[in-house]
Amino acid sequence: VGERLHPAAIAVYAVQALREGAFPLITILAVSVFGGGLDERALLRGLAFAAIGALGATVLGALRWASTRYRTDGETIRLRRGWLSVKETDVPLARVQALDVEQGPVQRLFGVRAIHVQTGGGGAGGEIVLGALGAAQVARLRELVASHRPDALSDEREQAPERVLTRRMLLVGALTSGQLGVILPVLAALSQMVDDLVGDPTEGGRSAGRLLPDTVAEWALAGAGLLVAAWLLAALGAIVAFSGFAARRDGDVLRVRRGLVQRREVTLPVARVRAVRVVEGVLRRPLRLATLRVEVVGYAKEAAAAQTLFPLLPRAEVEPFLAALLPELADDPGGLEAPPARARRRYLLAPTAAALVVAALAALALGTPWLLIAGLAGPVHGWLRWRAAGWRLDDGRLAVSSMMLARTTVLAPAANRESHDLAQTALQRRARLADLEVAFGKSTTARIRHLDRDVARGLWLRIT
Amino acid sequence: MADVLTLDEPSRHLAPGARLVWRLHWAGACIAAGVVGVMAREVLPEAWRPLLWALPVAALVLGTPVVPEWRWRRWRWEVRASGIDLRRGTLQVRRTLIPMTRVQHVETTRGVLEQSLKLATVQIHTAAGSHTIPLLSADDAAQLRTRIAALARTEAGGG
Repeated sequence: VGERLHPAAIAVYAVQALREGAFPLITILAVSVFGGGLDERALLRGLAFAAIGALGATVLGALRWASTRYRTDGETIRLRRGWLSVKETDVPLARVQALDVEQGPVQRLFGVRAIHVQTGGGGAGGEIVLGALGAAQVARLRELVASHRPDALSDEREQAPERVLTRRMLLVGALTSGQLGVILPVLAALSQMVDDLVGDPTEGGRSAGRLLPDTVAEWALAGAGLLVAAWLLAALGAIVAFSGFAARRDGDVLRVRRGLVQRREVTLPVARVRAVRVVEGVLRRPLRLATLRVEVVGYAKEAAAAQTLFPLLPRAEVEPFLAALLPELADDPGGLEAPPARARRRYLLAPTAAALVVAALAALALGTPWLLIAGLAGPVHGWLRWRAAGWRLDDGRLAVSSMMLARTTVLAPAANRESHDLAQTALQRRARLADLEVAFGKSTTARIRHLDRDVARGLWLRIT
Repeated sequence: MADVLTLDEPSRHLAPGARLVWRLHWAGACIAAGVVGVMAREVLPEAWRPLLWALPVAALVLGTPVVPEWRWRRWRWEVRASGIDLRRGTLQVRRTLIPMTRVQHVETTRGVLEQSLKLATVQIHTAAGSHTIPLLSADDAAQLRTRIAALARTEAGGG
């Protein structure tokens, strides 16, 4: 009943099973190899475990392949999986929003493709995932979907406007990605290690302690080395994620291709795009470069990279780029109106107080008054946030910029909002100020603090 | 509070019983803070230690009658054809409008305490997150749920 996937699916499923079981396998392997010291027997035992693991995964893959069938009658695509407990998924052809093509390393090795059948429901991955299909099978599936939903397919013949990430921009983007998220855990792990080694003067600790740098210069050097390593790691990650990035408008959908190892084409229905975010990272702002992200309703659980519309472009080109690919949301991220001058004090006050308290506590705890200087970070950050804040509501299009570390400008038609808030604290009331928050999706909220009360009220009413 | 937030403001209150629930919550939190404070009194120098029980007791005696009442008076809601209008908050007053077209589904939850007082909490889900109207009377909650469902259905075609 129905058709099997391409036999390459055995390999795809085997690799998947290995990946799912990778952590326990590696642990067993490591324990068996290193547990009793590294001798020949332990190594052999390790190899045997690895072989058993690979064999087991292949058997699992074969079983999964043998028990997976898909079928397309005139109206639905049906996927049937499982041996003991059978699971069937039916997707009506009329509901198919997109056939997304994915080609990972395994699929490329066998010259096959994985197809994600996406419906309006969204969510991570497709509702039906066909792990490996040959060219003929893909062609038949596309033909079938084309007869029901012509806009769900990318039309390769048509010359739709496409933007490709150039090599130069990829390199610049990789070098400026500077993700603190990568650096922080490394630093935390290091400080923990130092703590363990220095704080616990046991025999082992002392011997390991000798490996640690002991002059300030050596510490600085070690720190710099670590930062460079983290920076290179982040750059490498960005290259892998964004190689071959291309974005194209195709009727009612946006098509985004990307990836070096795992090639993926993602289809975003324009009707589901609620807002555009122009993100200017700390390292990119001086270069006047920005990343474009989109808030797509129903895609909020997918990885952040799936929501990248374009990884890097000059800020000045944001509006023309959007005008070509996403005119529904195109707007200029510049030329926004600032909050009133009397709001500046409020932007400075809270971070200054917080930074001073933290700095004072740190100085007390460590007994070095010099740490109080770190308290200056508070007012500087507050001042930068004040400078970055801006808004505009013109012809129903809302633009709001704000900053934590990166400056983010949200561009969206006000009518796309999911909800909007007007908020005022007792202190703001005395200064006749108020905050405005417009939520466009799970990860996009346009928030502007300390607007003039009447301006904020006017905006709130205009959005209503 | 300020006229910014009182413009055509929502008129419905939460259930009167909400005050009782909040009083119990407040008193419970004060007692818990006091117990934790007294247990951890070693962290402060001798002279400061009485604060650890004095502050929770003061909050208990002064706050229990006042804070829940204040909160209750400030909490307003209204369901209109255009959307769900909320206005709440004591130190920070917040006015929220959720358009009907954006409501995905509505959820009602009733804890043990809420069940015994015939109260219910309604959560309104949109694609961007959820908004909560706490401690409505069970009748109001059921009405609200059906009303929102009906309005969201009729609006769905237009939006």
